[in-house]
Amino acid sequence: MKKITSGGLTLLTYVIAILFFFPILWIFITGFKTESEAINIPPSLFFKPSLENFQIVWEAGIGGFFANSVFVTLASTVIALLLGVPAAYALALLKVKHKDDILFWIISTRFLPIAGIIIPLYLLFKNVNLLDSLLALILLYAGMNIPLIIWMMRSFFNDVSFEIIEATQVDGASGLQAFFQVVLLLVRPGLVSTALLSMVFAWNEFFFAVSLSYTNAATLPVYMASYMTQEGLFWAKMSAAASISILPVIILGWFTQRQLVRGLTMGAVKG
Amino acid sequence: MQATENKKRTSNQPPVKRLIWPSAIYLIIMTQIPFLITIYYSFQDWNLMRPDQGVVFTGLANFKNILTSSSFYQVFGNTVLLTTAVLVICFLLGFAFALLMNRNFFGKGIVRTIFITPFFVMPTVSAIVWKTLMYNPNFGMSSYFAHVFGKAPIDWLSAHPLLSIILIVSWMWTPFFMLILLAGLQSLPAELIEAAQLDGANKMGQFIHVTIPHLFRYIEVVLLLGLMFILQVFGEIYVTTAGGPGYASTNLSFLVYRIGFQNWDIGEASAVGVLTVILTIIMMLFMFRLLRRMFREEQS
Repeated sequence: MKKITSGGLTLLTYVIAILFFFPILWIFITGFKTESEAINIPPSLFFKPSLENFQIVWEAGIGGFFANSVFVTLASTVIALLLGVPAAYALALLKVKHKDDILFWIISTRFLPIAGIIIPLYLLFKNVNLLDSLLALILLYAGMNIPLIIWMMRSFFNDVSFEIIEATQVDGASGLQAFFQVVLLLVRPGLVSTALLSMVFAWNEFFFAVSLSYTNAATLPVYMASYMTQEGLFWAKMSAAASISILPVIILGWFTQRQLVRGLTMGAVKG
Repeated sequence: MQATENKKRTSNQPPVKRLIWPSAIYLIIMTQIPFLITIYYSFQDWNLMRPDQGVVFTGLANFKNILTSSSFYQVFGNTVLLTTAVLVICFLLGFAFALLMNRNFFGKGIVRTIFITPFFVMPTVSAIVWKTLMYNPNFGMSSYFAHVFGKAPIDWLSAHPLLSIILIVSWMWTPFFMLILLAGLQSLPAELIEAAQLDGANKMGQFIHVTIPHLFRYIEVVLLLGLMFILQVFGEIYVTTAGGPGYASTNLSFLVYRIGFQNWDIGEASAVGVLTVILTIIMMLFMFRLLRRMFREEQS
């Protein structure tokens, strides 16, 4: 009896997981169908997969937006890491006055609604001719990810035993040398997950992107939103474009899984 | 513990302290100063479509306009309803699924992986999938099921715009709740359960007296962080309903966008922005109190 209940619960788990995944799976499948197959009801399960939609979408220029997304995501993450990781190190391992207050102030900037700052930012970038530029988005996404990086990395640095750092200093290494040669190596898995998670956030960001970019600097979320308005009737092509937009970040997300709980709770909870 | 504290103090070399400044200055420029300017703009009468009128100081006129218009209260209500409904749905589903996942079974790792995937999909694409696959009145799943049950298909996005958005956002955020509550369940020490069993507690008793109290801080964390993110829902609304019909599915974030980037009314958009931030700060204070308590536990 117990075995049957347990098997039933496992089956239920599978079914719910598949239901949750279904819309994404459907997007991936529909991208390989023809337009008429895409809107068949009931849905056609057997069809000849074709890469035609991907080819059409690529020729229509999704590549440029893809490149924008990649560049903005990488550049903003690098800036955020360069600024955030040293700050996290200082806040975790060194005695800093008002440490808690600084940490809370930092996280409060992450949760400040974009709605509360978008108007001046728009006017500012307009005045310095940076509207519709990748630089504007890079600067803002770096700012958006610094708090995440500080909080997450702080929690990884906290796990480093202080004796190890102490030992490097006895060997005559300076504080910064110790940081690069020992500490950074120890937190490398955490550092990688932190970087990947900030990439996920940058890749998917939409409010800044849609307010500050139009054609040159538009990233994939903006492109997809305009695709929906203009060609929302072409489901197969839209699915192909959507697949291209979400696949990279889904893969990144899968790689961050192990540290995801810690990352998403800003290090408050260890998963 | 005391010894580590002392060691931390001895190696407190001055140059390292400066490591905090670059981040702090960057955040001040990118977030704090723009917010101060938003406050300043909220007292101005300034419409980008009417450059002839220029920028005129109007005191509290923008706030008065907003707080006396019925659409603002509708939007405020939408924001509260959207956020609360999503939190409740995500919590219940996430908790139920975390309980299901907190067992040993074949393929657990893969199930976990595919279950969290919706969380990584960009909001605009999630919205597109739901708008076409689910809600489309001619070819979507909703119409298919309507036919199966012999009912006339409805256009969900115009008939129930806010509910439609609630479902999309819940779909995206349930994995987040599941993950964190699952982490809580898995961190439950086996001794606690054993002790409860020795005391003769049944399954239900264990759950209420051992599991739930242990999960309490995880529940707090997940609800507060979820709240902060879900308050800012934007892309889903932009793509599906554009806030309509009327203001039926506009939340505060999207209202700022509508006033600022569709009507180009800088003053009024800033005023709504300020009100949004005030609402968020009130929520944030609750969160900080919670996190501070956790800090103290961590340090003791």
